[in-house]
Amino acid sequence: MRDKTNVLVIGSGPFTDRLRQEINRIPFLECVDIQAVERRAQIPQIVIETTNVELERKQAHLIEIEPLLDRDALILSTTLAITATETAARLTYPHRLVGFGALGDWEQFDLIEIAPALQTDPVSVKKAAEFFESLGKQTETVADEAGLVFPRILAMIVNEAAFAWMQGVASVEDIDAAMRKGTNYPLGPLEWADQVGVDEIYAIVCGLYRNLCEDRYRPAPILRKMVHAGWLGKKTGRGFYSYS
Amino acid sequence: MQVEIRLIGIVGSGTMGSGIAQVAVQQGFHVLLYDVRQEALQTSLAGIAARIDRLAEKGKIPKEAAETAKNRIHVTTDLEQMASCQVVIEAVPETLDMKQQLFQRLDDCCPPETILASNTSSLSITQIGSVVERPERVGGMHFFNPVPLMPLVEIVQGIQTSDATVETLSRLAVDMGKHPVKCKDTPGFIVNRVARPYYNEALRILGDGVASVEQIDRIMKQAGKFPMGPFELQDLIGIDVNFSTTQSVFAGFFGDSRFRPHFYQQRLMQAGQLGRKSGRGYYRYEG
Repeated sequence: MRDKTNVLVIGSGPFTDRLRQEINRIPFLECVDIQAVERRAQIPQIVIETTNVELERKQAHLIEIEPLLDRDALILSTTLAITATETAARLTYPHRLVGFGALGDWEQFDLIEIAPALQTDPVSVKKAAEFFESLGKQTETVADEAGLVFPRILAMIVNEAAFAWMQGVASVEDIDAAMRKGTNYPLGPLEWADQVGVDEIYAIVCGLYRNLCEDRYRPAPILRKMVHAGWLGKKTGRGFYSYS
Repeated sequence: MQVEIRLIGIVGSGTMGSGIAQVAVQQGFHVLLYDVRQEALQTSLAGIAARIDRLAEKGKIPKEAAETAKNRIHVTTDLEQMASCQVVIEAVPETLDMKQQLFQRLDDCCPPETILASNTSSLSITQIGSVVERPERVGGMHFFNPVPLMPLVEIVQGIQTSDATVETLSRLAVDMGKHPVKCKDTPGFIVNRVARPYYNEALRILGDGVASVEQIDRIMKQAGKFPMGPFELQDLIGIDVNFSTTQSVFAGFFGDSRFRPHFYQQRLMQAGQLGRKSGRGYYRYEG
């Protein structure tokens, strides 16, 4: 019988909530409460940080939590909008941080991308892969860059679709129908953005722009306005479409 | 006021023209198919008949329907005959000169109310329409290959295209059993523009050493549920075809860096590695 591994998940939103549920379904994993960790009543062996939009908060969370951990605790941090290397740079023991990313509903993807920071120890990468595999997902280890592979490509497709809509090239419905029926995308890019969160997409494009410093990654201004207006997609009832 | 469309003229009997003709006759339209060479028309007719017969053999359409459909195709090498069509769809090779000359000739021989549509995927409808006396009756009708299988048609509105023309072409697409989407005459229209990052960003990720060809394809299929990865899809489409679409959209936006082609794609072309059709592209193909 294996000892339970305590996992602390920091962050909010549908993906994060679902991650906690999935962890608790595994007999040898258990989500612990952040207050319990702060009281030092529990010491997590794995910490997962999932904030993508407010990057300062992500860094603050990890700096606050790190002194409460054992030196070899595994830290998994999403790298949708910031590299694992930059996140790890603020830690006292950066060798145990591994970046990861996934977008969409839990059932929709079979694979989670993981990315070691430049500072990451290979043992931590192995532990990260084993952790996600225990949740029933395959992993693919890629080099550390903001947005990884799938989130980056999807965000760039959504960004282009948002530019096209903003410029009056076609309607939201027609852009989505064109990509589903003209090139067999599983979802139209704008309905896809509503599903994963317009704020998440915007964070990825901004992250690419900030990290790679190229005009190519300029976010469509309409995305920024939608984020300000709280039109984040399904989770707020309105995004590119309205939901009731 | 809506004109009833009974006879559709199709200019060009290559893959796209033949596909459009097949779909039209299966949906009950009469088609007048034009090409400069009689042999090209015979090849096209034989191909269409074979594809319709196969549908009947598989039980997808009744035998009688197949026979009537085949009888609805008429061919000609005389462009003047297009005068009897309510709509003419042009599907000749993608060169502006050839299309403009053709539109001028159609403008001369067709009555003023005939709508002239172009199946172009990369040229400006506004520019094609600029050489005729009826630019308001010129619009884009961009079908996707293979036409009998792909449900989408982009209905493209040039600067001078009237709303009525857009409506007529949209309704025609619906009557041909297709799903029309309306778009403005902008580089790449919808699909070829919005799909660019699928290829270009994948190439960038590859070129920057973030992930390998195999990894990127696997990730896009298993994390993103795309039916094909960006590299295996380029191998299927043809790397040369994909590269030329990228170049055309890049030029159309005057070099906007979002559309910048990747030199690696050009290197593969230079090496003659065009994908499946040449036995090697991003992957190797046996036989």
